[in-house]
Amino acid sequence: MTPPPGTPDHEWKKGSAELLVLSLLEQEARHGYDISKLIETRSAGALRFHVTSLYPLLYRLEARGLVQGCWVEKPQQRRRRYYSLTPAGRKLLRAQRKHWQNFVAAIGRITGIEYA
Amino acid sequence: MPDFRSAILERLAPLHLDPAQESLLAEELAQHLEDRFRELLAGGLPPDEAQRRALAELEDPGPLRTAVRAAPRPPSYALASPAPRRDNVLGELARDARHAIRTFAHAPLFVFTVVLTLGFGIGANSAVFTLLDTLLLNPLPVPDPAALTAVSTLRGAKSGPAAPLPVSYADLADIQTRSQVFSSVAGYTSVRPVTLQTGRGSERLFAEFVTGNYFSTLGLRPALGRFFLPEETTTAGSSAAAVISYSCWQSRFAAAPDIVGRVLELNRVRFTVIGVAPPRFIGVNAIFGPNLWLPATMAERTLPDEMRNVLTDRAKAVFLGVARRSPGASLAQAQANLGTLSSALAREYPDTNSGHTFSAQPITAALFGSAGAGTEPFVFAGAGLLLAVAIVLLIACSNIANLLLARASARRREVAIRLALGASRARLVRQLLTESVLLGLLSGVAGLAIGYAGLELLWSFRPAEVASNFNTPALDFAVLVFTFAVSLLTGLLFGSLPALQSSRIDVAEFLKEESHSAGRARARVTLSNLLLVSQVAFSFLLLITGGLFLRSIARAANINPGFDVRHLAVLLTNPGQAGYTKPRTLAFYDDVRARVAALPGVVAVSWASNLPLWGRLTSGLKAEGYIPQTKSDSLTAILNTVSIDYFETAGIPVAEGREFLSTDREDSGPVAIVNEKLAHDLWPGQNPLGKRIQLPGENFWRRVTGVARNANYSSLAEPPQFCVYVPLAQNYSDGMTLYVRTAGDPSPLLASLQREVRAAGPEIMATDVRTGATIVGQALFSARMAVGLLTLFGLVALTLACIGLYGLMSYSVNQRRREIGVRMALGARRANVLSLVLRQGMSLVAAGLILGFAANLLCGRLLERLLYGVSPADPLSFAAAAGVLLLIAFCACYLPARRASRLDPLAALREG
Repeated sequence: MTPPPGTPDHEWKKGSAELLVLSLLEQEARHGYDISKLIETRSAGALRFHVTSLYPLLYRLEARGLVQGCWVEKPQQRRRRYYSLTPAGRKLLRAQRKHWQNFVAAIGRITGIEYA
Repeated sequence: MPDFRSAILERLAPLHLDPAQESLLAEELAQHLEDRFRELLAGGLPPDEAQRRALAELEDPGPLRTAVRAAPRPPSYALASPAPRRDNVLGELARDARHAIRTFAHAPLFVFTVVLTLGFGIGANSAVFTLLDTLLLNPLPVPDPAALTAVSTLRGAKSGPAAPLPVSYADLADIQTRSQVFSSVAGYTSVRPVTLQTGRGSERLFAEFVTGNYFSTLGLRPALGRFFLPEETTTAGSSAAAVISYSCWQSRFAAAPDIVGRVLELNRVRFTVIGVAPPRFIGVNAIFGPNLWLPATMAERTLPDEMRNVLTDRAKAVFLGVARRSPGASLAQAQANLGTLSSALAREYPDTNSGHTFSAQPITAALFGSAGAGTEPFVFAGAGLLLAVAIVLLIACSNIANLLLARASARRREVAIRLALGASRARLVRQLLTESVLLGLLSGVAGLAIGYAGLELLWSFRPAEVASNFNTPALDFAVLVFTFAVSLLTGLLFGSLPALQSSRIDVAEFLKEESHSAGRARARVTLSNLLLVSQVAFSFLLLITGGLFLRSIARAANINPGFDVRHLAVLLTNPGQAGYTKPRTLAFYDDVRARVAALPGVVAVSWASNLPLWGRLTSGLKAEGYIPQTKSDSLTAILNTVSIDYFETAGIPVAEGREFLSTDREDSGPVAIVNEKLAHDLWPGQNPLGKRIQLPGENFWRRVTGVARNANYSSLAEPPQFCVYVPLAQNYSDGMTLYVRTAGDPSPLLASLQREVRAAGPEIMATDVRTGATIVGQALFSARMAVGLLTLFGLVALTLACIGLYGLMSYSVNQRRREIGVRMALGARRANVLSLVLRQGMSLVAAGLILGFAANLLCGRLLERLLYGVSPADPLSFAAAAGVLLLIAFCACYLPARRASRLDPLAALREG
């Protein structure tokens, strides 16, 4: 699911992708593959991130200080890079979630789609 | 697994990233693709299809490129930026410490192992240091001990051990009044046993007679009550006041608050307790001190026989002087002043003082006076023990260093990344060192507890009935500082090597390497091998030294001290202290002899004034034909007053002439028996029988009637000394030692001996009832203690070294699983594998043994003077130490080797 850049779908997804990633990191630190799997399974396959879009997103979030990456070594496993929410990330997640709710509610009111 | 990494690197290549950054990026992405690949495979796709789909994820690398380009220092490396300026060194240290504590919390077993291992090492060090601190560095708990001077009589040219000789009371008084360098001069006798009579019976205590200014000269304040007043100590026999020691007050009198004012009946004289000395003070003694101090003016009333005319007779030297120098006066000035004083006194009192020179020494010289040998052996033994525990700690350190190296190899990735992220090597070393120093300090706390407990245990072996007379090792500030310093040093020591090594990782090389980096593992093993070889060498060194001393002690216990040890029992009595008069005492002596002789199993009975191996040298002996070379050159000899049958009872043969007979009476011609050493040295080539000698304090000559074989009189290691025996009938003594010679083992007789003494004199105490073997054993007590410690430390060192060996072998076997698997798959049998691993481990042990052997030969010279009858290259000690070490080391290698030989080759190969 990689729409050409510049299309509305692309921009729209870019905004929501941040929210998706931050939400998934809210409970625990996860590595990249874990994040991509969860997005795929929880959206029942509707949403899928490729390596080439997921990691740049993660790096951007990290550069903005919203998540923090950290190499973690576990016995009998290769080390992996885990990402966790920083306090700033947590704050932004709350704000975005609220914003998203308002946005969806507004859309619903206009389009008549019932917001569950 | 397809090589996704290369595919990624190919796509990243046009970006021209920093190699380290590129490598990290590639690693993260490759993992993602590998996971995807596995998932697709599990979903049932054929491998090539799965690989194609996984790689499809990399299609359109555009966003990736822009993202990475947009941030020239990609976000994942933001951490790499050096610590912000506002962080000072302290803040950094605190952060490092916090980080370290978090790391520890994740590895409690690791921390426990380290703290326990190092705790024992540090504990041994602080225990030995506490001992040295108590005995050598800080033995006299008085203010400004450096200004205190021991005043004693200088020994003549025929000098023996360097213990100071006493001075007479009158001489001390003259030194006090005439000296220009001393602000105060006090005197004290050596520790004397006295009898305390209580309602329940008699009890032995130890007392020192001191001059009235004794406590003020030392600068002490009483813990309770007061010390002697000048008017209490001026006239002989005037005031019966007593000061008791703090530990005696605590233990014997249960810290009774009303102790001051109590009356103690000592040797039938009623003393009033006027004060309690401060804690830890046991007189001018490093090890064994008195229970109480009595005024010198009471000496004669308390010990009439021993202390007759002690205050006035200048020939009666029983006081050791302790003087405080005036501010600014040096020891050399004191020495010069005493020289002038000695000549002045010699002119005034030529009879008694000619040839006497007083000497000034640091007070430490007098502290071991009771041990008879000065400070040197204690310093030597102390240094030896300190060296031994330092080696133990070193081994513990190298074990922990090995452990850290193993951990470091697990943390290599972390280190590599931190380096890649721009952390400086110094910063990284600092972080790793913070961890190890923290561990060191933690171990220091454990060590302090272990050391203190060990010392308590060690000290609890002191004889119970005189426990309150012993100095008590105490944890003081010096010990705390020492332990802190050792812990800090330990942390730096065991931490620096692994820290330096792990920070030396070549980032690019490491990140290029895949998970198994054989070369690096080998380098680590080499460093560990080196540490291990030195551990084995050190523990071998300690074991041999322990073994040598053990043999030396066994030899010393078996040497012939010149008297029959095996069939001898002795006990001490003091009828004089029980108030017996001379005729009554003599009757008591005869009665006991008759009663004991009638006991079954008794071969001979006799009385003597000296206890075996407790003889004291007396100076001032005169002998016919002996002309002193210099004025100060006086003869010193052991004097022993004995009853008839002594030589038979003690088992000392009379080689020439005759023994004392019942015809040697008070009114018959004065006689003496000398030993061979005296006869040969003073009258070489002449017949000693009929020669004349004069004892100090006597104004008549005694005729030599016999020559006895030499024996050991004061210690087992002494060189032959002069000895003169005189008959009891001609030299009355009111306290004597009973010697009993038995046909068999004397121990069952001890109880009946005491019973017979009580029957002959119900008021008289029989103390120190012992067999000859016990006496020899006690003479070797301190040596045994030192050897026990040395052997213990050797075994601890060996245990630590073998734990290290086991760990290293296990690690190496684990590293070589694949190799071993291949070998087995190619037909190697289990026995081959077993011997392969064993060979590897045991060759390290052999290298250590050779190194330790060489080190031992070098140290041998140092040990030679401490050993008795054993060569420092004693083959038996070497063989035994090597045997023990090889056996334990073999076990440590065998377990991992057996595990290796039981490897399932298939499993091992699959894992690879």
